[in-house]
Amino acid sequence: MRIGDFKETYAADEALLRTPPVRFWMAVFGVALVVFPWVAGDYPVYLADLVGITVISALGLNLLTGFTGQISLGHAAFMGVGAYTAAALSSRWGLGLWATLPAAGGVAAAFGLVVGAPSLRIKGLYLAMATLAAQVIAEFGFVHLESITGGIRGINVPPARLGPLEFGTDRALYAVIVAVAALATWFAANLKRSAPGRAFVAVRDRDIAAEIMGVPLFGTKLRAFALGAFYAGVAGALWAYFMKVVTPEHFPLSLSIHYLAVIIVGGLGTVIGSVFGAVFMTLVPEILRGLASLARPHYPEAMVLLSPMTDVVFGGLIVGFLLFEPHGLAEIWQRTKRFFRLWPFVH
Amino acid sequence: MLRKGLAMAVGILMAVPAFGADTIKVGASQPLTGRFAFAGVQLNQGLADVFAWINENGGIKGRKIEYIFEDSGYQVDRAVAVFKKIMAEHKPPMFYGESTGQGKALAPEITKTYKILYGSTSFSSELANPEKYPYTFVSGPTYSDMFGVLLEYIAKNPKGGKPTVAFFYSDTEFGKDPIPYARKKAKELGVDVVAEIVTKVGAVDVTSEVLELVKKKPQYVIIHGFVLSPIPQVIRGSKDYGLDISFMGTFWSMSQMIIDKLGEDADGYMGINPYAYYYETDVPMIQKIRAFNQKAHPDVKHRPNSYLQGWFTGMVFAKCAEICLENGWEITGDNLVKALESIRDWDVGGLMPPVTFVNHKVPVGRVYRADAAKKRFVPVSDWIRLQ
Repeated sequence: MRIGDFKETYAADEALLRTPPVRFWMAVFGVALVVFPWVAGDYPVYLADLVGITVISALGLNLLTGFTGQISLGHAAFMGVGAYTAAALSSRWGLGLWATLPAAGGVAAAFGLVVGAPSLRIKGLYLAMATLAAQVIAEFGFVHLESITGGIRGINVPPARLGPLEFGTDRALYAVIVAVAALATWFAANLKRSAPGRAFVAVRDRDIAAEIMGVPLFGTKLRAFALGAFYAGVAGALWAYFMKVVTPEHFPLSLSIHYLAVIIVGGLGTVIGSVFGAVFMTLVPEILRGLASLARPHYPEAMVLLSPMTDVVFGGLIVGFLLFEPHGLAEIWQRTKRFFRLWPFVH
Repeated sequence: MLRKGLAMAVGILMAVPAFGADTIKVGASQPLTGRFAFAGVQLNQGLADVFAWINENGGIKGRKIEYIFEDSGYQVDRAVAVFKKIMAEHKPPMFYGESTGQGKALAPEITKTYKILYGSTSFSSELANPEKYPYTFVSGPTYSDMFGVLLEYIAKNPKGGKPTVAFFYSDTEFGKDPIPYARKKAKELGVDVVAEIVTKVGAVDVTSEVLELVKKKPQYVIIHGFVLSPIPQVIRGSKDYGLDISFMGTFWSMSQMIIDKLGEDADGYMGINPYAYYYETDVPMIQKIRAFNQKAHPDVKHRPNSYLQGWFTGMVFAKCAEICLENGWEITGDNLVKALESIRDWDVGGLMPPVTFVNHKVPVGRVYRADAAKKRFVPVSDWIRLQ
């Protein structure tokens, strides 16, 4: 049992990682992230990249929906805008990551501002409908703005570059994705503790009260939209480099809903929840599929039946989690930590 | 007791690897779930069955084929994940993919790193391009070729005066893929394209589309880019207006499903299929496939054309491996591609006419017409080979 947590300086009080055990485990985690691509095979590295991209995008949606309470069904559209921006810039002008990532985020954020504009007047399900419209319009744009998006056939994306470095393989791209994901997480964790972050939460909890306290409603909501879309745009750009091709089929409405599921399963309004949600929603179907494929040598035919079953089990797991812990995996994590912290003197 | 159980478990585990080290592996990511599952399950079964059949008949020069597949749900990221997983675990020299999207996403890595022979469910014209996709092949005609075959048929069978046609396609990659080629080909053949109608997949209200047909009165309409809906609605709609139009479909809309759905209205519906149908019992290869199914799957009465695509693709994989073994080449992607390109007039027992790969595809097909009373498609042309 840990007792006492004294702070002697303001710096200590402001630290993001407050206690030695937390710092220790974060260091271990950091080392593990660095070592991972050297020891893991192609397939785990591929999955890690996928998780990383999901983390970045889910953080964006969590800032918008979890923290600020602005439900969005257009997250895939934001990702798509970012992906096309990066793909167009790098395939036409051969620009490197230093330009394409910020540009992808920026263009997506601008699109987010437009989509977020109705949020002053409408909220809840109505806002969901407005963002749904954005999704549909974006999908239409991806298909029909052929001069930019390459239409139905999309754009073949050259490998990501940064100066003399080329990130052509999943393993090389892993470095970029982890760095960006770490930066994104760090920024979100800090934002949460700052005045703009608290303004987000105030708007979510009671918008009228927030306004009376001097939180500019419209500005805050727009900021959340821009920020959420920026994250999504960056994630979309990484997706483009990762998939090496961008077509309109990559960003359907179902992806937007998938991201809502990610943050709900992970934990709305928590930073770590976005990470847990991304890991859970990406890896669990893979694990289930791996389990199903264990049956292959014994009953090859069974795979055909087991494969749809994995979706059912996955759906059941999500429902189960939500029933037993509506606050998501983040809350389960907190409870587990509390258990060990208080052990053996849990009252 | 426990020890006995353990010993048994170990015994079972040891007995399982029936495949020796010298098997020839084929990997596959199959859309067993998701919106393409209706075909994916059959494609997968076709591949699994053809390999089982080849193995029963002595394998390829005595070597067995091992088929390793996993579900990929018709999602490009999952499909690529399955590809990487199977490549990491089994390193097969041949792989079967689930979609055009997967083929495009994997192409740079297949060309640079993996170097394996890659076939897929896709008939996309884009993928049949050995310069851009050196390891990819299309196991049949591309969608462009399908239009080519249908247009040649139309040019030879005008219904009075100059032949006219309308293209009716979906707003998707699948739908738009062959259109530029089709326009060019129609011009060459002297077929007038009187209308191009683009609509969404699964559209229910097609009144305006049908009115367009009423206005333009084409002799033929080629519908492409849909599996089912809105094909029945369009055909019924135009019948209500008393139009005498021959509707034609491409591969995915030429399965039994459409005859069942249309009922009596199916009469006269035409289209192209590059493979013989399961009920063409005079075709030697179909007889073999039926015999295999009777033994392995006694409950199965019918197999759709997607199953036969799987079967044929499996034959191609096996043939390429066989050519490598005959010539004493190691079974690698490069040699398999060389083998594929060397195939000339390969007799496949009538499943297709003698096969020669041109630009990694087989530009051949046959026009069939639905007979509603018999509930099946009957051929109305001979095999048409594009030049």
